Amino acid sequence: MPLTGTKVADVSGSVATSYATKLMADYGATVVNFEGGGFMTRDLAPFHPGTQVSAMHGFLQQNKASVSRFATPQELNGFDVVFYDSETTSISCETNTSAISWFGKSGPYAGYNGSDAIIHAMTGLMRGIGPIEGPPIIPSGYEAQIIGGLTAYIGTLGYLLGQSLGNQKPQFDLDTSIWEANLCLTEVGMVAAYNTATVAPRMGINSFPPTYPLGIFPCRDGWLGVTVLTPSQWREFCKLLDIEELLEEPRYHSSMARLADRDLIEPKVLAKLLQFSAEDLFYQGQQARIPLARVPTMEELFNVDQYIARQTFGTVEQGDQQFQAPNVPFRLFSTPPHFGGPVAELGEHNLSWSTL
Amino acid sequence: MTDTLPLTGIRIVDLSMGWAGPLAARHLADMGAQVIKVESCTRFDWWRSWEATPEWIEDNGAEKALAYLYVNRNKLDITLDLEDDAGRALLLDLVGRADGVIENYSGGVLPKLNLDYPHLKQANPQIVMVSMPAFGSTGPWAEFRAYGSTIEHSSGLPHLQGSQDDPPVMQHVAFGDAIAGLNGAAAMLTALWHRQKTGEGQFVDLSQAECVMALGVQGILQFSTTRQTPQRYGNHHPDHSPHGVYPCAGDDQWILLQVFNESQWQSLADLSGLNLDAFTDHTLRIKNRRELNELLAKWTSTQSADTLMTTLQNAGVPAAHLKSALDLLEDPHLLAREYLQWLDREHVGLQPHPSPPYRPGAAPVTIRTPAPTLGQHNRAILGELLGQPDTRLQVLEAQGIIGTKPRMP
Repeated sequence: MPLTGTKVADVSGSVATSYATKLMADYGATVVNFEGGGFMTRDLAPFHPGTQVSAMHGFLQQNKASVSRFATPQELNGFDVVFYDSETTSISCETNTSAISWFGKSGPYAGYNGSDAIIHAMTGLMRGIGPIEGPPIIPSGYEAQIIGGLTAYIGTLGYLLGQSLGNQKPQFDLDTSIWEANLCLTEVGMVAAYNTATVAPRMGINSFPPTYPLGIFPCRDGWLGVTVLTPSQWREFCKLLDIEELLEEPRYHSSMARLADRDLIEPKVLAKLLQFSAEDLFYQGQQARIPLARVPTMEELFNVDQYIARQTFGTVEQGDQQFQAPNVPFRLFSTPPHFGGPVAELGEHNLSWSTL
Repeated sequence: MTDTLPLTGIRIVDLSMGWAGPLAARHLADMGAQVIKVESCTRFDWWRSWEATPEWIEDNGAEKALAYLYVNRNKLDITLDLEDDAGRALLLDLVGRADGVIENYSGGVLPKLNLDYPHLKQANPQIVMVSMPAFGSTGPWAEFRAYGSTIEHSSGLPHLQGSQDDPPVMQHVAFGDAIAGLNGAAAMLTALWHRQKTGEGQFVDLSQAECVMALGVQGILQFSTTRQTPQRYGNHHPDHSPHGVYPCAGDDQWILLQVFNESQWQSLADLSGLNLDAFTDHTLRIKNRRELNELLAKWTSTQSADTLMTTLQNAGVPAAHLKSALDLLEDPHLLAREYLQWLDREHVGLQPHPSPPYRPGAAPVTIRTPAPTLGQHNRAILGELLGQPDTRLQVLEAQGIIGTKPRMP
């Protein structure tokens, strides 16, 4: 596997450090969790029914080793890179380090309380979600930390590769800000705001500039995701729904003009969509090169033919529990990642970690 | 031992367009890789425009698209008509001298052009090719089309947002693009790492829809472990109160408050100056959350969101101003970290560029060059690197295979 032989330590066990090291473990790195006190991921919902065993911990920590104590600096020096949360953990070692924290190591917010929701608020993402009159809607889950961990994986692997190429000194200390990592979702707004001195307004649930129809709409039997952007997609969409009279308005070939007239167009679109099956429209739309989508529930997700065919979900083994979780979304064909895998018990590798 | 940018010496051919692929390639370029973006004069990056007109071309609209500019900095740009044999041959010559190729065409496009992995591998057996179609390059949906919005729709994520009474809720106009872009960079680096160790190139298949699933993993795990559909709580938290988004002074100004423990609650109560005696107990705060939220909203609506965030955070209370794009341009933390870097570019003047979110020291990684203009590096790449003489470049330009100005298809 690509990262076989690469030794990685996680000494903090935040969602972000755990996700970065999960990607490394999935691609073959030896990842050792030094869990003095147990990682906080063990306390994260959801839990296996009737237990306090966290499936979230299982998802994040599969294919890693667990040591139930803190590491010494000398021990850390034996790793190629050490991941840590610089807000909760201080480390001293002479190897590569990769710090991930809510706001980075420096700056006036460096000590602020962080959370996934706080990051979404401060990137501007949250302002755009929800009804026009507000309040904006808080996104759920651990999104911000997952994005932070993924971003730290990119930086860390890039700098490790740089060392291997002879471009970098023998030791690096990377600082990844979860906030800055998540600004990738809204940075285009910043650039636009600088040039126009305006901010895109919140337009209601599932409505966003720069186009209409865009959103999630009810059909006869379920939800359909719709995105119509280009003139050709608009033409095909009108044909598909048999609302070709709208094509007679030349302005509607412009996505922004359709958005401006959303209140005029929407009643016709909604009425027509309710006459059709979402499933039928999805396939017919894709055939007509319109990017329509099913909008699967959690239950339906496991039954989507595309995801079954691709083994999107793998089996995680956690004690006597087994469950399905998403596999790594990028697949190296010659050297594939682990698909699922075992989760170590706390301290399972206390005696064996140095020989892994 | 040197300390240049880490990916110095790596050459990437960037066939991608829009947001996802270009963002992936941007990370590689930011870390020092030579990223050569390949467009054509008739099939230029659609992020320059999806509604091109002759007037737009005449006005140099292709060089003014803001979304294009910030996601393509640090890259070079050439034009090649890949539907022409000569254009394809030049691309294969370039691939022969590259380490990686990244693309996010809809499935089926590159095979029709004879530019899929088997063909690229013939040109360069060690090439790494990262392919980023919407649903991956295998399975019954391999050739289906999608935007970043479609990716979000398809991932299950909208069923985890909002409250039970809401429809499935989207978070962003193109959520899937940015997430897939990050995964694309991770994919290329993983394969380049393997290549560095073994000399072996390979094909890398990325499903943009699967990239988003990690972000809704808590819902996926809940269904997988309990067979029950996750509840949607909106802005409430089932175990904590107060928890939500509250109005502040001014137009569309909001603050997020999240109280997770007694210490935070006490600090909030003290700072608010409100009589909150009826809510001292955690269970009462949960039970009477509506009344508590009304009281707090009345108070927050008289406060500046940014000042209140600072006050509460300094007192240890998790709080955040729901910042706008304009707020971010002047944010003191981002200014202190020199997060935005400013580069001058032809046609648009000085423009802000977000720094890479990882930094090897106190200062961010320097952004070296603004986004290239269409075909700006035709001479440097096709002439100097691939050895095409000027006379040949003139012929290619006359034939419309290369150029520096868009044309209507």
